[in-house]
Amino acid sequence: MNAHIGEDAELYPLGLLDDIAARNVEGHVAVCVECARRVAAAQGVAASLAASLPEATPSPALERRLRDSTMRRISVVRYALAAAVALVVLGLSWQTVLMRQRLAADDVALVTMVHSHFNHVSMNPESANPVAAKILYARDGSWVYIIADKPGGTLHAIARSASGAEDLGGLIRTGETATLLVRPGERIASIVLQRGGTAVAAAKLTY
Amino acid sequence: MDELVDDFVARRPSGLEHVYALWSRLFFSVARHAIADAARAEDCVHDALLRVWRAPNRFSCTRAMLKAYLVACVRNESLGMLRSEGRRDARELKAARLASVTEVDPPSVDPVETQRLQNALARLPEEQRAALTLAYYGNRTQAQIAKELGVPIGTIKSRISMAIRKLQSDMQPPEGSLS
Repeated sequence: MNAHIGEDAELYPLGLLDDIAARNVEGHVAVCVECARRVAAAQGVAASLAASLPEATPSPALERRLRDSTMRRISVVRYALAAAVALVVLGLSWQTVLMRQRLAADDVALVTMVHSHFNHVSMNPESANPVAAKILYARDGSWVYIIADKPGGTLHAIARSASGAEDLGGLIRTGETATLLVRPGERIASIVLQRGGTAVAAAKLTY
Repeated sequence: MDELVDDFVARRPSGLEHVYALWSRLFFSVARHAIADAARAEDCVHDALLRVWRAPNRFSCTRAMLKAYLVACVRNESLGMLRSEGRRDARELKAARLASVTEVDPPSVDPVETQRLQNALARLPEEQRAALTLAYYGNRTQAQIAKELGVPIGTIKSRISMAIRKLQSDMQPPEGSLS
């Protein structure tokens, strides 16, 4: 397990951390009960601070938007499952079908894909102990979905774009695979997966 | 588990509706404190709530913990928008900061809790209270607070962390209390 998050536990609920530090807190509390308790306690104080702010009332339109969004999610997921079945009928390879069926478990990723045109690229193995991984990404660069098979430890994704390198955070492990869906602010040119600070796979993204 | 928490975790639309019915004004107040424009503040509430509700959650918590978590999410979403806009338009960031500092007149949802908070804030050491006030009510970043107070960022982190922990212990209800 990584080192505990320390004072970041109190800074996180106040919105004082940058994206990388915030993702580190979120990833750490998922596996560390002690730090999760500390963050939860700080969130309680932050909620009390929030109650002391000048009160404001949202317009009725916000409630309608939220309701519409929840309804849209349900209909999109139904359509997505139908689309996955259609892939079998179209005679795509079993490997592709199985991969997409696994993705079907992740509503967020699936809903995103149904609404997008996307490319995919296999990551090139790096180091003596590489990982097999693939990247699916929107042609407009609005999202990137990384899938690693048998990650062999915690994998971290580092992206490079026009403005420099960015830590996308850790892949989330589910059984034999680990995945990460990100919505970058700009087009990602390349991604490197690291395990324990060592690059284990890399790929360039072309649009 | 609380039925409301249960519905929210199960990603039932009714869970999100109940959360919204109970705390929408609190969430919007948090967003509005960072974002001057009401429509964009609503965007922050919408996006934060929907993101949490849609995500595969593993909450095992009380209603109060869910509320506190969602407040933190809305706050992070709003400050994220404030700072990304700030990079494009530094003048608006300055205006939002000024507005937030001058609008600290708390009409509270719960006057007892607010009084307890005010008392606890008053008991903080001055340097901790100053750092926390700039961070929360002033929407400043760590670097901005460090610059304004003329101390290293590490010191600011420590002061705010200690302030939050002290508030937490000071605001805990007395033993034997039902609240």
